[in-house]
Amino acid sequence: MTDPKPGITEAEAIEQAKQGHEAAFEVLYHLHKRRVYSLCLRMVSNPAQAEDLAQEAFLQLFRKIGTFRGESAFSTWLHRMTVNVVLMQLRKKGLPVVSLEETLEADDEAPRKEFGTKDVKLTGSIDRLQLQRAIDRLPPGYRTVFVLHDVEGFEHNEIAEIVGCSIGNSKSQLHKARLKLRDFLKFMRAEKAKTG
Amino acid sequence: MTCSDVERALPEMLDGTPDGSLAAEFETHVKSCPDCSDLVSDLKLIASEARQLAASEEPAPRVWVRIAAELRAEGLIHDREHDRDSEPASAPGRPILVPTSPRRRWSAWWLAPVAAGLVAAGSYVISHKPASAVAKQQAPATPGTSPSTSPASGSPTWVAETPAVTSGGTSGENAAAVRAPAPERLAQKSAPPKGVSGSSAEPAPSPEDQQFLSVVSTRAPSMRATYENQLQAVNADILETQAYVNRNPGDVDARQHLMDAYQQKALLYQIALDRIQ
Repeated sequence: MTDPKPGITEAEAIEQAKQGHEAAFEVLYHLHKRRVYSLCLRMVSNPAQAEDLAQEAFLQLFRKIGTFRGESAFSTWLHRMTVNVVLMQLRKKGLPVVSLEETLEADDEAPRKEFGTKDVKLTGSIDRLQLQRAIDRLPPGYRTVFVLHDVEGFEHNEIAEIVGCSIGNSKSQLHKARLKLRDFLKFMRAEKAKTG
Repeated sequence: MTCSDVERALPEMLDGTPDGSLAAEFETHVKSCPDCSDLVSDLKLIASEARQLAASEEPAPRVWVRIAAELRAEGLIHDREHDRDSEPASAPGRPILVPTSPRRRWSAWWLAPVAAGLVAAGSYVISHKPASAVAKQQAPATPGTSPSTSPASGSPTWVAETPAVTSGGTSGENAAAVRAPAPERLAQKSAPPKGVSGSSAEPAPSPEDQQFLSVVSTRAPSMRATYENQLQAVNADILETQAYVNRNPGDVDARQHLMDAYQQKALLYQIALDRIQ
């Protein structure tokens, strides 16, 4: 079998990677590296750690590539691994990683906390750094769905497959994530206004 | 429609395909309710601004280098010798170049700690005249210096081990031509695998490689064979590429490939030592 040439399709690269061709692995890596790294970076906010997580996600993928049968999209499979790697890392750090289903059950009817920011408006644009800080404060389950949907552009059916929940849960988690972010951002603006 | 109804309907209204009558009631309420109007516009703003954070960064090139090294160490990638047998070379004697990101610049700053570790483990790089420059596509180097001098003490000898060729007085060559060690000296440093064409004899493994394998044998005997095979493969690659670079000093891709091969060897040491500690 010849080495993959530039411009081969993802499907061809997958098959050649199964044969152990380094160039095929490299093609797959370069095809997906930005999204995987971006997902990791948005989840942990640390470039060095995000690199380690992206590396681990790709290694897990490549170790298991022989088992990929195409039942789902390759990118979905890869991002599922990435999410699992990230959540595993967050668990190791002792952060309370609650499953999406648990989050839904526990928080469905809980009243949202108001931060005394009723009069603060989020008009105009949102500072990118503030937004990232607000995302950092989200519980991992909310953070995952928000990053996948609003940052990375995955659809709810894809997110449902990646994180293993229903489409309805995905929509609900996203909505709750956005509400929390709104509260955090308004709080930050209020604090900033106080300090001048 | 009440404010509570609006909040319940928001997920579907913002991201789904809302029912026609529901949408009409929703819009009517939002237009007349300042709080709900603010809520809807805030959530839309958050969703749209979040896109700014999308995949704008790339991981550093070292991530792929580490992945490739780990895959090699685990035997998931065929070694180059196997790949050569299965495909025709594009030109006689030309080494198979690893397709890498286009114009990937060799920046050695991250290699500094790895190079220092190699020196401590019985460095692969022997003392040599430092290269005055390594390659055109590397960071600009003034004559008499190497791009990797600044980051770490071990780097100059590391760079010196990656020569191009004596230019043979070719005036058109880059004035900062690198001096090459004699091929037989380089061959003594690396042990080619069996059956590598072009080698008249199998040189003994370098003292550094022997020391490395000795450490592996002591601490993780079951892994010795794997690392020995990987070492042989990367040494063969270095030898062959070095020979090619000696014959074709102007081939920037080949010099980059040689750098990549040295980096892979350094990573192999690093990964092995990390594992067995």
